[in-house]
Amino acid sequence: MASTYTLPVQNLIDHLGRLPGIGPRSAQRIAFHLLKLPAEDVQRLTQAITDAKERVRFCSQCFNFAEDDLCPICADPRRDSSVICVVEESRDIIPLERTGEFKGRYHVLLGVMNPIEGIGPDQLKMRELVMRIGSEDVREVIVCTNPNTEGEVTAQYIGRLLKPFDITVTRPASGLPVGGDLEYADELTLGRAISGRRRLDD
Amino acid sequence: MTSRLYRDEAVVIRSYKLGEADRIVVMLTRENGKVRAVAKGVRKTHSKFGGRLEPLSHVAVQIHRGTNLDVVNQVETIDSSGRMFGDLDVMTEGLAVLEAIDQLVPDREPVPEIFRMLVGVRKTLAERPSALVVPAFLLRLLASEGVRPELDRCVVCGEVESESTPLVAIDLERGGVQCRGCRSGVGVTSGALALLRDVLDGRLGEALDRAHRPGEQVLDDPVVVEVASIATRAFEFHVERRLRSVAIFERHDARSDS
Repeated sequence: MASTYTLPVQNLIDHLGRLPGIGPRSAQRIAFHLLKLPAEDVQRLTQAITDAKERVRFCSQCFNFAEDDLCPICADPRRDSSVICVVEESRDIIPLERTGEFKGRYHVLLGVMNPIEGIGPDQLKMRELVMRIGSEDVREVIVCTNPNTEGEVTAQYIGRLLKPFDITVTRPASGLPVGGDLEYADELTLGRAISGRRRLDD
Repeated sequence: MTSRLYRDEAVVIRSYKLGEADRIVVMLTRENGKVRAVAKGVRKTHSKFGGRLEPLSHVAVQIHRGTNLDVVNQVETIDSSGRMFGDLDVMTEGLAVLEAIDQLVPDREPVPEIFRMLVGVRKTLAERPSALVVPAFLLRLLASEGVRPELDRCVVCGEVESESTPLVAIDLERGGVQCRGCRSGVGVTSGALALLRDVLDGRLGEALDRAHRPGEQVLDDPVVVEVASIATRAFEFHVERRLRSVAIFERHDARSDS
């Protein structure tokens, strides 16, 4: 099919269309918006992309995104180094930080175990987690993988892996979302909420 | 105009992420075979389906037939996967069963017998788990496909087992056991042969009872290990693919032993 656009415009639309959640229509709209922008705005955008790609790497300790050798959380001396929260991806750190409940450090696995897809512990930062337990003064590991089958398999595996160490391995409670109706809760979530109930006077 | 809605009973086999918060759920249904359908918004914490569509869940579904992909409309739990959550071995074994079914069953072709077996194996995994469950399931699945290995007479010379001609090997390419004179496959012990016969000749219940000891998994029983290896190879030979979840599981065992 012959393109109706000149080659550079078509090229831009094709590249934008490869971004997640951007269909052909949105790609076209963004492309025309970019073409209308002043040159310096476009320059700032390309610079931001290049900078991010060049300067951001993985934290050598927890595999979160970092600008230096350590990410801001690992570099912060006020964080409690005796608690490690294990998450699947860097983006999972953001909602956890927003709760303000967690003051420890993180460990990003960069994925989740998925037996059917053939993703096992060796493809994840599992060995690095065990090495951290050995070298840092860790008392507790909170396994905060997603509460679905893959996340659960990963959590159980970590539990088994860390058994030889003298530390507590915990999993966040599963339960009812605040603002939700009991009537619409699924049996699995409600069942776990019941079995993990707590005393009112605590 | 015929209704575009249909109801069925299903066991969730696997699911893929789709877009921001949706999933494509692959399930084996009683009447419509293997079905792929979109479950909208399941990854949000406020989802109306919640954990009902996790792999291994046994559910009643209402599905809307779409032009391209079907859409899950309503889900009710028949038996949740919750009983299997919390035990790594049971979960991995469950996933191996699902992977085998996913590889064997084509889309949209009713397979009521396999559906019945899947519901059965879920129950067995939850109630009396053992290392024999998955191999037994794989062998029975192959038998239901018509590729049951010959276990009673040598596949080359046709000799029936006796004191003088013991059956000592199994060659999956030739489809069964062999006597000493015709041997070309790998060796098989008489214990494993007896267990294979139990599994395939309707004495599965007793065999599972023997393999199951409450509170512990019998991973190190050499006969079960041998049968498991034969079952996996037979299945992989038939579908001409590796079973990935079984491979990962085997590595687990090696680690937890050390």
